Amino acid sequence: MQKKISKVKNKNVQMVKAFILDTLAWAYIALVSYKVLYDKIYIENRYPEFAWKQPLYALYFGLAAAALLFFTNFSLGRGSLGLIKLRDDEKATTKPFAFIGYLLIILTFVTGFYVSQVSLKEFFSSQGLEGAKRIFTALFHPNWSIFEQGLFAAIETIYMAFIATAIAIPIAFILGFIAARNLMTGNPVGFFIYTALRTVLNVSRSIEPLVWAIIFSVWVGIGPFSGMLALCLHSIASLTKQYSEQIESVDDGPIEAMTATGAHPVQVVWFGVVPQIVLPYLSYTIYRWDINVRMATVIGLVGGGGIGNLLMQYQGQARWNEVGLLVILIAVIVWTMDWASSVIREALK
Amino acid sequence: MLEIKNLNKVYPNGYHALHNINFSVPQGEFLVVIGLSGSGKSTMLRCINRLHDPSSGEILFNGVDTTKLKGSALRKIRSEIGMIFQHFNLIPRSTVIANVLSGNLSRTGIFKSIFGIYSAEEKERAMKYIDIVGLRGKEKNRADNLSGGQQQRVAIARALMQNPKILLADEPVASLDPATSHSVMQYLKKVNEELGVTVICNLHFLSLVRQYAHRVVALKAGKLIYDGKPLEINEEWFKTIYGEDAVEVTIN
Repeated sequence: MQKKISKVKNKNVQMVKAFILDTLAWAYIALVSYKVLYDKIYIENRYPEFAWKQPLYALYFGLAAAALLFFTNFSLGRGSLGLIKLRDDEKATTKPFAFIGYLLIILTFVTGFYVSQVSLKEFFSSQGLEGAKRIFTALFHPNWSIFEQGLFAAIETIYMAFIATAIAIPIAFILGFIAARNLMTGNPVGFFIYTALRTVLNVSRSIEPLVWAIIFSVWVGIGPFSGMLALCLHSIASLTKQYSEQIESVDDGPIEAMTATGAHPVQVVWFGVVPQIVLPYLSYTIYRWDINVRMATVIGLVGGGGIGNLLMQYQGQARWNEVGLLVILIAVIVWTMDWASSVIREALK
Repeated sequence: MLEIKNLNKVYPNGYHALHNINFSVPQGEFLVVIGLSGSGKSTMLRCINRLHDPSSGEILFNGVDTTKLKGSALRKIRSEIGMIFQHFNLIPRSTVIANVLSGNLSRTGIFKSIFGIYSAEEKERAMKYIDIVGLRGKEKNRADNLSGGQQQRVAIARALMQNPKILLADEPVASLDPATSHSVMQYLKKVNEELGVTVICNLHFLSLVRQYAHRVVALKAGKLIYDGKPLEINEEWFKTIYGEDAVEVTIN
């Protein structure tokens, strides 16, 4: 009986979801058609005006269209959630609601092209090609006289990435246990800490290291330290997530066995959990260092020190021969790190 | 030495796994628990050393009710109850001797054990038990490179390292081939007879039961329906325990 009720409830929830999906889809179609197809392409309005009432009207239209067509085969929501029953010989891809889906994709493509201002005219203009030729010639004739300067900057970058990873490891190691669902969600206090930590980590991970570098360069000044802090913060968030996922997937057997010997909980974790996670941890950590080196070059662009900083300076002065050398250096570093980390990770398996 | 009184276990999802179980186990007995998969055998074994918490009832271990214990008192009781598992549950990537030494964790300090500092006496004892289960010469091998039967013997040595008064075995031969099954059962018999450790063992094969058990209890849908000698399980009892359509499979 209970099951039946929950099933009915579930169906209602699905219907509501389908209706919301329908409304949004129709509103999107209306808004995009108006703004791009009509405003930009048909009347060629170069700077179309934006008013909040436009998306609002689109939403009204979406609601009306969804209400009108919800129980027909044109309902994308019901179709994609599997609420439209199909005969065995029918394919979902040829039903009307599928064509609504195709329309969405095509509209998004057209909009995308207009928003990113794709213009083959400029790509192949004689002036443009001239510029491309100039910069490529310079890039392929690197100025080797700044090799030493570039090398020192590159070393700075590698060490910056290394220290950022090294500092992140112990912190992420401890946080990894706290962020593991299977260890923490047994009691309400643990669950609260787990949820809070997960939220903080997700937020800090969703902010790009590039943005963190800008924040820290204001905080501690431009230079390698701000770049290191940015990488470190991002590494802690990423490693903690990967570590905790590894902990969540451990085999319960050894944990049970260690508990059964009467071991202290700390010993249970050390002997029952840690041996199962050491190798994946090492693998993740080395990969993280590899990523950090790559990111460190980019972070230099916003004042995080190292080779990226140098690249930015020469680029600002339009000294493309020097930029060419730095690009070669960066490529060599990234390629070497990539190769080394994959060899090490392969050996760890 | 072990007395189970009105034991009930209801899982949080409402599943009633054990109904009013009553029996006692005297010192030195080799008791075998039989029953279909899902009849509650594993749950009952895990209630004894509190890997699962019973919902109600008493479990008296040498006169102490284990169901109310917490923290260090619980760990103390657990250290006196050895356990081996169907899937061995050894520490992965560790040597045989490291696995056997881990049986003594409750008596080693936390920091000593984490840094792997074991006394000469502990190592000596570990070697003695490795000897007993016939794995001398393999102590430095990685345990997960051994065969299934050998891994189960490492698990027995680990349990012996606890110096247990009682040994729980949860389907110790269910993932082994017939020949190896007998070898592991022989070692359990040896532990029972020579070291005087009481053994409670879950088994599937009646042929093994008849050969090794002193006494048998049978569970069906969480109820204890048989308590007696292994040879008294006749065709009729077999059908009651395993269902009408069951056919006995032997293991030689």
